[in-house]
Amino acid sequence: MIGFAAIAILGGVLVSLSRQINGRLSLSLSALHASYWNHLIGLIAVTAFGVVFGGLLTGDPWGAPWWAYLGGPIGFVFIAASSWAITRIGAAQTALLIIAGQMIFGVIVDVALGTSGNTVARIVGVALILAGMVIARATPQKGVDKAVGSD
Amino acid sequence: MTTPAPARLIDFLGAFATGGLLTLMIWFNGTLAGYGTVLFASWVPHLTGTILAIVVLLFLRPPKASTQSPPWWAYLGGISGAVTVVLTSASMQSPLAVSGTIALGLTGQMIFSLAADKWGLLGLPQRDPTLRDGLALALILAGSVILIFFGGVA
Repeated sequence: MIGFAAIAILGGVLVSLSRQINGRLSLSLSALHASYWNHLIGLIAVTAFGVVFGGLLTGDPWGAPWWAYLGGPIGFVFIAASSWAITRIGAAQTALLIIAGQMIFGVIVDVALGTSGNTVARIVGVALILAGMVIARATPQKGVDKAVGSD
Repeated sequence: MTTPAPARLIDFLGAFATGGLLTLMIWFNGTLAGYGTVLFASWVPHLTGTILAIVVLLFLRPPKASTQSPPWWAYLGGISGAVTVVLTSASMQSPLAVSGTIALGLTGQMIFSLAADKWGLLGLPQRDPTLRDGLALALILAGSVILIFFGGVA
């Protein structure tokens, strides 16, 4: 259990690590280039993993509704936008805003689809997140005078 | 290297809206995983995202921000993202389930991003996290955990 907890935390760390690396690439090239390289290298990695360990095409992979295959274009915009944000507002603010957006839009989707969930919990959860965003926004920007070199 | 512009409201709202895109991605990719495997649900968006990226780069030809080449490792962010899929799918099948995996993953993101700002990791600007940043993170994490475990968002 502790081992799986460590794995889950590491998963989150790697999400932020990836965003940091892509942000660095966008400083030299552009956010669109960063998203391109993220997808290309990720595609090679996932393909290699599938070839070595199998499991890429088991099940009924082509049976899903057509819209389910459109995550890629959204992902392209997502990686470009987050690479753009992290160089401007920093890693912590980018992470907290993306998480806030993910959660609040998640509630909206759940309510729209009629997914079961405790209404009080939803209200409290959204209120806490909005409060966190207000506080984050009120944070005086400390500037970025200590920009560091490439490596 | 150019100095990034100070944060503006548009940056702030843009990052928030970006989180909404993530909701859609998880929804779409999660649906794919219900038909194929988790690996397939990562492979398809990487493929279609790469195709769109090539089209966008060919048509928009975005200028390069710097004449200096980026360090070699800056091209490898995609590997980290691909490994994430493998780790989280293993964790989701443990007693942690989807909700525990997401909650702990958010914690991991917070820890790493605070450290990244504090020390300017991997060549991005250094910023000292403030007490208010910590409070904002704690509130958002608390709200997220409530939504994940009681509000049906998972």
